[in-house]
Amino acid sequence: MIPLAYTIRNVFRRPTQTLQLVGGSCLVVLLIMVAFAINQAMQSTLTNSGSERNIIFLGAGSEESIERSEIAFGTDEIVNASLEGIRQVMNQSAISPEVHYNGMVQTKKNQQAQALLRGVQHQALWVHRKVRLLEGKFPQSGEVMVGRLAHHKLGLDAKDLMIGEFLEFNKEKLRIVGVFDARGTVMEAEIWIPLLDLMTYIQRDTLSCVVLSAANDNSFADAEVFAKTRLDLELVALKESTYYAKISSFYAPIRWMAWISAILISIGAFMGGLNTLFATFSARIKEFGALQAIGFSRFSIFFSLSQEAMFTGFIAATLSIFISVLFLEGLSFPFSIGVFTVSFDQTIILSGVAAGTLLGMVGVLPPSWKCLRPNLPETLRSS
Amino acid sequence: MKSFNLIVVAAKYAYRNRTRSVLTTIGVATGMFLFTTIETMQSSLRSATQSTANDTTLIVFRENRFCPSTSRLPEYYESEIKRMDGVTEVIPVQILVNNCGTSLDVVVFRGIPSSKVGALSEKMHFLHGSLSKWLERSDGALIGANLAQRRRLKIGDSFDAAGVTVTVAGIIRSSESSQDENVAYVHLPFLQQTSRIGLGVVTQFIVKVKDSSALDSVAKQIDLRFKNEPEPTNTSPEKAFFASTAKELIELITFSRWIGIASVLAVIGLIANTILIAVRSKISEHAVLKTLGYSQGAIAWLIVAEAVILSTLGGMFGVSAATIFLHLQSITIGNEGLALAFIPTHSVWLIGFGLSWTLGVIAGAYPAWQASSHSIAENLRAT
Repeated sequence: MIPLAYTIRNVFRRPTQTLQLVGGSCLVVLLIMVAFAINQAMQSTLTNSGSERNIIFLGAGSEESIERSEIAFGTDEIVNASLEGIRQVMNQSAISPEVHYNGMVQTKKNQQAQALLRGVQHQALWVHRKVRLLEGKFPQSGEVMVGRLAHHKLGLDAKDLMIGEFLEFNKEKLRIVGVFDARGTVMEAEIWIPLLDLMTYIQRDTLSCVVLSAANDNSFADAEVFAKTRLDLELVALKESTYYAKISSFYAPIRWMAWISAILISIGAFMGGLNTLFATFSARIKEFGALQAIGFSRFSIFFSLSQEAMFTGFIAATLSIFISVLFLEGLSFPFSIGVFTVSFDQTIILSGVAAGTLLGMVGVLPPSWKCLRPNLPETLRSS
Repeated sequence: MKSFNLIVVAAKYAYRNRTRSVLTTIGVATGMFLFTTIETMQSSLRSATQSTANDTTLIVFRENRFCPSTSRLPEYYESEIKRMDGVTEVIPVQILVNNCGTSLDVVVFRGIPSSKVGALSEKMHFLHGSLSKWLERSDGALIGANLAQRRRLKIGDSFDAAGVTVTVAGIIRSSESSQDENVAYVHLPFLQQTSRIGLGVVTQFIVKVKDSSALDSVAKQIDLRFKNEPEPTNTSPEKAFFASTAKELIELITFSRWIGIASVLAVIGLIANTILIAVRSKISEHAVLKTLGYSQGAIAWLIVAEAVILSTLGGMFGVSAATIFLHLQSITIGNEGLALAFIPTHSVWLIGFGLSWTLGVIAGAYPAWQASSHSIAENLRAT
């Protein structure tokens, strides 16, 4: 086998070509990592938003969108009275009647922005157990509490949604009295407002849904039976996790768009890298001939070239990881039902390393085939 | 003639290095495929949001609402609006969408009174089926060609979306609005009842005015008339309504411009890289050409011509593939009940070709300058 030191020296012998290859590979790896991170962030935000233990009652036919759903006011009381299996908190049922509303709010900067408003009562905190009040208090009439990432959705700075600031909705000034988080869920981009306030402002007399926290594994089956027997209520029962899984599949084409864009640009960069490798290897045919003449097999030379390419790919992957962790980590993007935050976790970093190394391995094959296929006399003649 | 001969020589150079040329062409083709797709998105958005002197349509929506599931206006507003000066036609419309969010699979039902379909479809023509078939069935739907292609629907087929099942009675295409490409027009009472909104309530009114100069005054009249009603209105020209409602979709498409720029940069980088490699490998040939009397300009022309040949060839494949892909796939993106069909136009096609040619010139400029600026002695020394 050719010594590793020789292989590594070769990488630095032609700095211009190496820089070109590292640059191209870095672009490909970075694009793959970003596409992966966006995909994962969107999917995990939606998956985290739904709890296996929460059951949602929606209007029949609105399984794809809570915002479109309408059920009679007071359905929560009927459900509470009819179902056993509801988790109890301080001897009260963890059942939350809610109105989900996508509306325009006027911000401090006098701009109109689309906001996700959720009309809730205090029971919402028993049901949505990921929600934590970070500052302030639960809102009373004329007040709201905002999610940690709501400013992204509204296109504002975080300081514009601090406690004591105001938002205007339907010409009503609403005071911000609380800031909450719900790590990795869509709720972090929402504005929570007392249920009756929201219903009054939007002149609505129906609920969007009723969410309950199940006490045991049988509760969902009971809830389904309840929804199917009480035809007059026109309800459908879904596990919260199932609802968000449906929403996630609805957004799959958007996620694919990110992947396809990344792959198409990567193909261009990969072709450029292949061209550079072809040119570099073609210029070294004499060297390959000499190595064969002194007794190294073609496999040994190929192995050495693969090591070179993988080493270059590894440098590119390391550079991409630095760029992504230093400049892209934690970036938040608003989308229809929330805000997602990209995070370059272990899986993505490992996939970046794998992509860089694989890129080198795959990229080295065609030029190696072209340069090492001819026999020794042909190789020496072609140089 | 000399210039043409040099182009022939450049083409021979490209042919002689087939592997390099094929790799570059594939890379350019993928980059231009992405660019053309994104440019089609941008041009579809421009035509949906930029007003023209021929626009005579207003949309009356519920004030402070943008999601069709939350805009509810009494149907009797129709007669009030019709009495106003400058109004030629009023069409009450009930809208139902399977999801308000931004997605690639949005189905928009538009319920309209059967007596008004003629007014709405002045520029609509039937690809299959007929108006009489639609009038015969209460669950009949006139669907846009794009929707029919996306869901593989033909006359007589039933399909279900948003909890509503309809039968296809006609497949239409409109030269007036790309919205019609993705819409399913159904009978208003049918949609009001199946969506459980109830008779007498609509989402919006489409108001036709006598000429575009009357748009502002009619919009003011309408909003003033209903200002103190329980359901106040917000009236805006159709394209302004699209721009203010589908903000998320517009943001997404605007953001995609950066992907388009990235693909263009990748193409420039790829061609420049290839041509630099070619120039490096042909230093001695250029020295010989200079010795034979070829001027610096002729050498530069030769190199730029090779770059342009590769970029134009790649551009031709990429732009054509994107055009065919967009025609076959009928991609539509929807948001808040508004759908934007990505239909490639001749102008996008021409921009794609023009750009690929220009990119070749830009990418070839530096290598051309580098190759032509060196003296014969320098070139010969470098070999």
